[in-house]
Amino acid sequence: MEMIVKTGSLTKSYSHKPVVDNLDMLVPTGSIYGFLGPNGAGKSTTLKMLLGLIHPQQGHIQIFGKTLDTKNRLKILQNIGSLIESPSYYGHLTGRENLEIVRTLKNAPPQEIDHVLRLVRMEDQQHKKAGHYSLGMKQRLGLAAALLGQPRLLLLDEPTNGLDPAGIQEMRELITSLPRQADMTIIVSSHLLSEIDQMATHVGIIDKGQLIFQDSLSSLHEHSRCRLHLRTTDNSGAVSALTQKGIPAMEEDDRVLLRNTDDDSVARAIRHLVYAGIGIWRVEETQMSLEDIFLKLTGKKVSL
Amino acid sequence: MSRQFYAERIKARRRHVWAVTAALGLALLLWSTFNLRNADAEDLATGYSTLFYQIPLLNTVLLPLGLAVIASRLCDWEIRGNTLKLLCTLQKKSAFYDCKLLMGLGYLFSIALMETAGILAAGIFYHFTEKLDVRLLLLHFTEIIAAGTALYIFQQTLSLLWKDQLLPLAMGLVGSFAGLFSLFFPKGISRLVPWSYFCQFTPLAMDWDPETRVQTFYATPFPTKLFLGFLAATVCVYILGRTLFLRKEV
Repeated sequence: MEMIVKTGSLTKSYSHKPVVDNLDMLVPTGSIYGFLGPNGAGKSTTLKMLLGLIHPQQGHIQIFGKTLDTKNRLKILQNIGSLIESPSYYGHLTGRENLEIVRTLKNAPPQEIDHVLRLVRMEDQQHKKAGHYSLGMKQRLGLAAALLGQPRLLLLDEPTNGLDPAGIQEMRELITSLPRQADMTIIVSSHLLSEIDQMATHVGIIDKGQLIFQDSLSSLHEHSRCRLHLRTTDNSGAVSALTQKGIPAMEEDDRVLLRNTDDDSVARAIRHLVYAGIGIWRVEETQMSLEDIFLKLTGKKVSL
Repeated sequence: MSRQFYAERIKARRRHVWAVTAALGLALLLWSTFNLRNADAEDLATGYSTLFYQIPLLNTVLLPLGLAVIASRLCDWEIRGNTLKLLCTLQKKSAFYDCKLLMGLGYLFSIALMETAGILAAGIFYHFTEKLDVRLLLLHFTEIIAAGTALYIFQQTLSLLWKDQLLPLAMGLVGSFAGLFSLFFPKGISRLVPWSYFCQFTPLAMDWDPETRVQTFYATPFPTKLFLGFLAATVCVYILGRTLFLRKEV
């Protein structure tokens, strides 16, 4: 698989405290890469390093197959659009004038402004001053600015931060539609699992500056190990009966948890309980949610 | 650079920086020529000398604050709009700093032009009988540009480094007072105050006789060494300011 972004041992510290620690990020071309992690995990710092806004103390960054350095930074960035943290805008200028500044600096053709305004559905608000926009509109203006110049790679740092539910939904739809419409790779950071789950094709999970998981989203879902619970008439009796027969089980939340969930083990367990005269009310199969996986990987509860 | 300069011009829309500049230039002209309406023949015989002596003093009072206001107006939209992190992905940080500086110096140049044109206009309007010394006129123009450039670099750097624009503006105000009051001290001391340099290069001095209340202007040698030293210091301020800005993480 071709990688549009590769980092090797990327490290950044502030006051001797590593904020990004030996990060090896691999972003496949054409993917929506969800960069997930709790607040303060190092997501924004990583994205800023990818843009050359801050310099790593160690490690290297490859984008479009070229190693990013101070000499080729702007050349590489010509093909990258970004929306980092809060939106950047000139409040005294209209939305269109804001885009005109970015278009001028990117040396993009003038007609692109209309194109990106259409993409983010802001044609009607383009002549309003950006200072009068709602946060959602400012974010959309930021996204429109990022899309100018038809970038091959888009870096979006928490693009739904501060938006209301309708705004979040709209931004999410917009982001997921971009790879189809404009043939681009997107790196989108978030501390919200559900958001990444709904947008990304690939996911990297960062915690305390370290990448603790990186693969496709489907692979992450495969980690969601199946758990099997039994509701019985006598849970403690059931656990001792199963244990005597060598079937690992334990009591959990007023239920019996079977440790082995393959078909044979489940059939054996039920047969033994029936023979032992223990009534089975219900057999429940549960998948680990992404939140559980995140909790398992990071040891932290996250906001949803 | 032309694209970046064009982008700066778009940013300046609706911020009325030209109005601030024009108001500043007009205030300087009105203040300096106000007393000329009652000028007698003796005053008209020293009309140009009086202006060449007085205007640098007024520049010392008004320009430090005026330049601070201009620098702040040109920079605060970047701070308030959180735009530096976007711009630094589109242009070199150093080019951004230089472009902004050129834009600001353009306004300073306009003030200097207004003042110079104002002196000429006053001479024609009030019928000065003194012959215009073109060398003094050029030196006056150079003095504003030289001292103003150094101060503007300082103010722009402050405005770009500080989130709150109150500090750069307060520095401008402090500069106005410091520059003026330093002129009451011996040259050795006043030359330590950067804001006093609107008055340091004028090759003109004045004797005032308290009994006859007559003022006599006389030429002094142009302080070439001081001027060259000041230019060298300006280059240092530029390098330092630019380096500080380049080091600032966005």
